[in-house]
Amino acid sequence: MLPLSLLKTAQGHPMLVELKNGETYNGHLVNCDTWMNIHLREVICTSKDGDRFWRMPECYIRGNTIKYLRVPDEVIDKVQEDKNRSDRRPPGVGRGRGRGGGHGHGPDDASGRGGRGGRGGGRTGGPARGGGRGR
Amino acid sequence: MSGRKETVLDLAKFVDKGVQVKLTGGRQVSGTLKGYDQLLNLVLDEAVEFLRDADDPLKTTDQTRRLGLIVCRGTAVMLVSPTDGTEEIANPFIQPDGA
Repeated sequence: MLPLSLLKTAQGHPMLVELKNGETYNGHLVNCDTWMNIHLREVICTSKDGDRFWRMPECYIRGNTIKYLRVPDEVIDKVQEDKNRSDRRPPGVGRGRGRGGGHGHGPDDASGRGGRGGRGGGRTGGPARGGGRGR
Repeated sequence: MSGRKETVLDLAKFVDKGVQVKLTGGRQVSGTLKGYDQLLNLVLDEAVEFLRDADDPLKTTDQTRRLGLIVCRGTAVMLVSPTDGTEEIANPFIQPDGA
């Protein structure tokens, strides 16, 4: 279970986000990305000391300011359903590597195959078996 | 378009609207969003900074400081929200959360 998989699964669910500065944001997760930048809707902001409150229709929070997030318990069950899918193609890592290696071929081949080849090479560590081109 | 795909929130809908921006370090600024890029650098017009209590930098006061036209550096931007619809409210939780 990857933290970001859980977060992605939690899209549409209510959650609490505490920032490093101690402010908390309660709202429904609309979207998130691999940097943990998040977009919340129907947000209630609570000050650090917990005695002032603001309502805002939506907000964007930069991932690197987040201390932690609280997600509803039921989300963890849904993330298990997605597990098989994510096993085949782990999010983030494969795609990131793919951009470098997969150049020059057909448009469909480039991103997908390049990504997988790159990952394999990294795991085995052997230059001879690298297979970075995804052939 | 593809360069801006990476943001989870499309700031295009906030252009020429009032936005409130919180910056790392605690400054809070609001202004009219005139432009932005994929790094979340923002151009704000008629920007106003909400000054903070000298004794307690966590609390914003009613005092403001006019900044005019500014560029907010993306790396310093913590939070962006529309000014419209944002208001201070009474405690909406029966029991304060996060206890």
